[in-house]
Amino acid sequence: MGYQPVQPVAFSHEIHAGQLGIDCRYCHDGVEKSWYSNVPAASVCMNCHNQVLKEDPRLELVRESAATDKPIPWVQIHKTPDYVYFNHAVHVNRGVSCVECHGKVNHMEEVQQAKPFSMAWCLECHRHPEQRVRHPDDVYNLDLQISPDEQKKKGAKFVHDFNIQSLENCSACHR
Amino acid sequence: MKTIPPSCPEPEVGAKYWRSLDQLADTPEFRQWVEREFPSGASEFNDPVSRRHFAKIMSASFMLAGLGLAGCRKPEEHILPFSKKPQGYVHGVPQFYATARPTRSSAVPLLVKSHDGRPIKVEGNPKIPGGNGGTDTYTQASILNLYDPDRAMRFAKGGATASRDEAFAYLSETSAKFAANGGAGLAFLVERSSSPSRERLQKAIAAKFPKAKWHVFEPVDLDIHRKAATLACGRGVRPDYRFENARRIVSLDCDFIGAEQEAYRYIRGFANGRKLSSPNDEINRLYVIEGLFSLTGTNADHRLRVAPSHVVCATARLLQEIAGGDAGSHVQRLAAEFKGDAKWIVECAKDRRSSEKQGKSLILAGHQQPLEVHWMALAINQALGNLGSTVAMLPAPIVKEGSIEDLAASLNAGQVDTLVMLGVNPAYTAPVDLEWSKAQAKAKAVIRWAYYEDESAAGVTWHLPAAHYLESWGDARSGDGTLVPVQPLIEPLFGGVTDLEVLARLAGLDVTKPYEIVRETFGGLISNGNFEENWKKFLHTGFWPGSALKPVKAAVNLDQVNDKLATATVAPLPSTQQLEVIFHRDNKVDDGRYNNNGWLQELPDPITKMTWENVILMSPKTAKALGLEIKNRENNQLFVPVVKIQVNGKEIEGPAWTQPGQADNTVALALGYGRNKTGRVGHGSGYDAYQVRVAATPHIATGAKLSDTKKTHGLATTQDHWAMEGRPIVREANLKQYQEHPNFARFMNLEEPPIVQSMYPNPLDARKKDALHQWGMVIDLNACVGCSACSIACQSENNIPIVGKEQVTRHREMHWLRIDRYFTSDPKLPEDQKVDDPQVVMQPMLCQHCEAAPCENVCPVNATVHDEEGLNLMVYNRCVGTRYCSNNCPYKVRRFNFFDYNKRTPEQLKGPFYPNPVTGEVAGEWGVTQWLKDPAQGYRTGDEWDLLKMSKNPDVSVRMRGVMEKCTFCVQRLEQAKISKKIKAGASGDVRLKESEGNIPQTACQQACPAGAIVFGDVSDPQSQVSQQKANSRDYAVLEFLLTKPRLTYLAKVRNPNPEMPDYREYPLSVEEYSKAAHANPFESHSGAPAADGKGHEAHGSKKGAH
Repeated sequence: MGYQPVQPVAFSHEIHAGQLGIDCRYCHDGVEKSWYSNVPAASVCMNCHNQVLKEDPRLELVRESAATDKPIPWVQIHKTPDYVYFNHAVHVNRGVSCVECHGKVNHMEEVQQAKPFSMAWCLECHRHPEQRVRHPDDVYNLDLQISPDEQKKKGAKFVHDFNIQSLENCSACHR
Repeated sequence: MKTIPPSCPEPEVGAKYWRSLDQLADTPEFRQWVEREFPSGASEFNDPVSRRHFAKIMSASFMLAGLGLAGCRKPEEHILPFSKKPQGYVHGVPQFYATARPTRSSAVPLLVKSHDGRPIKVEGNPKIPGGNGGTDTYTQASILNLYDPDRAMRFAKGGATASRDEAFAYLSETSAKFAANGGAGLAFLVERSSSPSRERLQKAIAAKFPKAKWHVFEPVDLDIHRKAATLACGRGVRPDYRFENARRIVSLDCDFIGAEQEAYRYIRGFANGRKLSSPNDEINRLYVIEGLFSLTGTNADHRLRVAPSHVVCATARLLQEIAGGDAGSHVQRLAAEFKGDAKWIVECAKDRRSSEKQGKSLILAGHQQPLEVHWMALAINQALGNLGSTVAMLPAPIVKEGSIEDLAASLNAGQVDTLVMLGVNPAYTAPVDLEWSKAQAKAKAVIRWAYYEDESAAGVTWHLPAAHYLESWGDARSGDGTLVPVQPLIEPLFGGVTDLEVLARLAGLDVTKPYEIVRETFGGLISNGNFEENWKKFLHTGFWPGSALKPVKAAVNLDQVNDKLATATVAPLPSTQQLEVIFHRDNKVDDGRYNNNGWLQELPDPITKMTWENVILMSPKTAKALGLEIKNRENNQLFVPVVKIQVNGKEIEGPAWTQPGQADNTVALALGYGRNKTGRVGHGSGYDAYQVRVAATPHIATGAKLSDTKKTHGLATTQDHWAMEGRPIVREANLKQYQEHPNFARFMNLEEPPIVQSMYPNPLDARKKDALHQWGMVIDLNACVGCSACSIACQSENNIPIVGKEQVTRHREMHWLRIDRYFTSDPKLPEDQKVDDPQVVMQPMLCQHCEAAPCENVCPVNATVHDEEGLNLMVYNRCVGTRYCSNNCPYKVRRFNFFDYNKRTPEQLKGPFYPNPVTGEVAGEWGVTQWLKDPAQGYRTGDEWDLLKMSKNPDVSVRMRGVMEKCTFCVQRLEQAKISKKIKAGASGDVRLKESEGNIPQTACQQACPAGAIVFGDVSDPQSQVSQQKANSRDYAVLEFLLTKPRLTYLAKVRNPNPEMPDYREYPLSVEEYSKAAHANPFESHSGAPAADGKGHEAHGSKKGAH
């Protein structure tokens, strides 16, 4: 928790996701389909930055990558061990928000690991899904305001309506 | 919230750990430290060390490792995204492509799974007409060849690495040179192929080089079916068998379940004809006349042991019975030579003569039998009205081609200037009397295109690396003539080229890219409609609909067949002094082409259960007559005598092994082993049967002598105990008994212990109430033919390592799914005759997923537990390797990873595995000194490990040493299906997988099974196929009296013998064995009850232990 490496490009989630309000899925477009939420290709950055901040020196690496096929070496922050089969798609499609694991990334100038990523921490939610589950439409709204009481009430309804099991068996994550 | 410990660098096993220590050993701190702590011990590093010293040094090093790395820090890892993402690609979502694996003169249509650009799993294309997605062992294992670190990886000129451009320039030069003289002196030696593109290029070459010679060579040539039919019918045809129409099948030494081409299709048809859903169903009946016990023989209802050289007489006798007075004089002459049981043939003939069976029977001749047998088989088929019904005659062009004998003759005559070899390996496989290597050296230049730089690569001018079929563009025709594409899933890993490109360059064509060549051919074949649309559809579906060849009318003239038999002669019956030798295609390595495939090498042979080598097979009676004592156990290891076979003026030595049910006085030699130059996996496996094989008698040689060399050899077999000892593990009945007692399988249930109230209720009973699914499986033993495709499919899907011969001798093989093969015999016979004509039963054995699993109770760390859907889970990370679970498993299906098998090098597979690091000595050197000199020794190099890792399924953990593992019912596929369903459900509650919606996944074994014998699904859904199968009256659980409540149950086998046959037995032999052991016949003790519907027996069935 708290791991905050310096990234090769000074990309600010606070500006892009927070102030500009770009949806998470604009860049992390695989999150709804795959177990893996992808880091965007440099060409995605260039969709805007071939117009905006065209000459900015901070974007030198991005321009180079888009031009030369050389990948940007982003430093990995969130990592599950290789014996854990975590699937992004099933969580975000069923009402678990990004914020539950990644914290308020839209307020992070430089991303840091906000949650412990331990098995006990995973199980907290798996045992009591009603405390976290929201409507899938609100998954990418990281600033959703909801009181604990209301969450409990709504959450219980979602768990019932969506037929959410609290999966605690080993095979749910380990195969 | 729980605090987490600081994360450490991943505990790398072996290689990296030692390497880092080794590097540390050179730092000044290390030296200083060692000197302070071990002033006298430091110099002992290179000397044999005592255990005590070793422990001291090691513990010191461990401490230093902690100090030297300055604590545990999270290693910095990078994510490298694309700079431009390919269209439609989502990282982590597998893609499927339709392609095909070319076989000798056919192809297996496939659907291949690709994960992030790496092909990882091969499945049959289920959309192909009549297809069920089943494949065969060779196809399942072929993916490992793609990642073989020993394959040809370079263009080589005279043995030295050269560039691709140079090679292509040489091909152009050659083309130009022979264009000038019309191809005089140019010769080709190729393998068979069904590719329309290659046929087209061959024509282009023939047009450009009219004087060039085209020779085809296959050491195991399955083309004889076409040749025989073409000669007998007088037009270009080949037979394609339609088992689904056949009620009576006679195999004349034809192993259509194993050794013949298209076995996976024939198994499908055959097994469909064996499936019974109710006692009133009809099933087919299989008669087999053969010498060697083949897979087909194990499935026979009646089997006649005949030396293969005398199958021709048995066939003539059968023809005589069926044709009566129309059988010609030569047929009569051959029939008179038949010395076996005449009644067997007479009754067998009667069974298929009855009028309602017109066109419903099928007579097959094996590829190892001479043309005469094929012709007579065709004549019988014709007489029984089978042509056009069970035997479809498909058009096959008559092509002019030379043989390898012709080529050897022209080479020796100095008529060949340049020899082009595509794929063949004649230096190893050519008949030994051709002295191929000498002949090959007489060509001025030799261009060879092949997958390995093997025996035939010696002395060639140019060696071109072949691309794997998963790296190639190509096309082919499957068995029924359907046009299929060969589509690459990956760029050639080592720059390999395809045969099409080589031929196009030699022909001097402008279009040399295989992709363009295949498109051009396709355009020529399919001309109506929009080309691009057609092409897309072709690649997408993996075949061209409606392109199967239309059967043509063909007839066989009995008189002409008789005339053709004029020259047929029959060798005298073999004796112990004049043995008969059978050369046969191996069930695992084929003719040697899969020799370097570890999965196939370690797969137990379906009949002998032998791994890693071939043996010299003979009947137990023959072994006794020759004075051989086969079984010797020393220290729990199996040693057998090494014998010398002298035949055709040559001799070889190999280990002798007995095969119950083999014809007496015959010895069987499997081809494909004992290679001089192969990869590191195949190196040193078995003996080379090609060394005594001559051109005149490629399959059956007579007049052989056998002598004991007085040497012994250790074998690695996974099941050398043959019998069930009267236990009801596999249960069977004859059709008659099944009709009388539909629930006969439960008659053999043993007495269950009295059920008392359990002190601890099974937690599953409560938990399963809330679960969405309950998984279960049924295996139909009546459909299972024992082909072992499931076993390899499981290995591929679940990242199961191979362990090497030495470890197999210690019974440490890792297969999660094995096939148990039991021989059953008449208990009344004297001991030495029991094994003469045994019956065989096959039983796939895997984790039974017991509801009350004995393994779970004894695990001290909860590493094996149940989930609410009824799966017995194995949690690798919790496992500490006590192996209690394995000891307590009554089915013996748990596997323990004793070493880091995944990381062992191919050399290490040969053993010995015990260079005890302290006291062990290997090659005169102490283990520890070797270790300190080269810490990475015994582990794969980085490159090789990377290559091997590419073949792994990323959805399944690669287990490390010290961990128990077993079948999971492909939990990764179940979880993936559930996840997909949940993603689709989104904000709704529709998350249950339903068979009616088609979203229940198949397990890997189920998907690969060509027979459709394995059914998996949700047993809580009464409509599911698996529930319906479990409701079948033949359903039973193995060792049910232990009250383990397995989720995997079996459907008992039903044999269909003919009561008129001389070898008819009222009960299957296993029932007789059981009756003897239990002192009661289960059927007789139930005979008082009403018979027709079996209802009367339910009471008996549930009253356990009535007998």
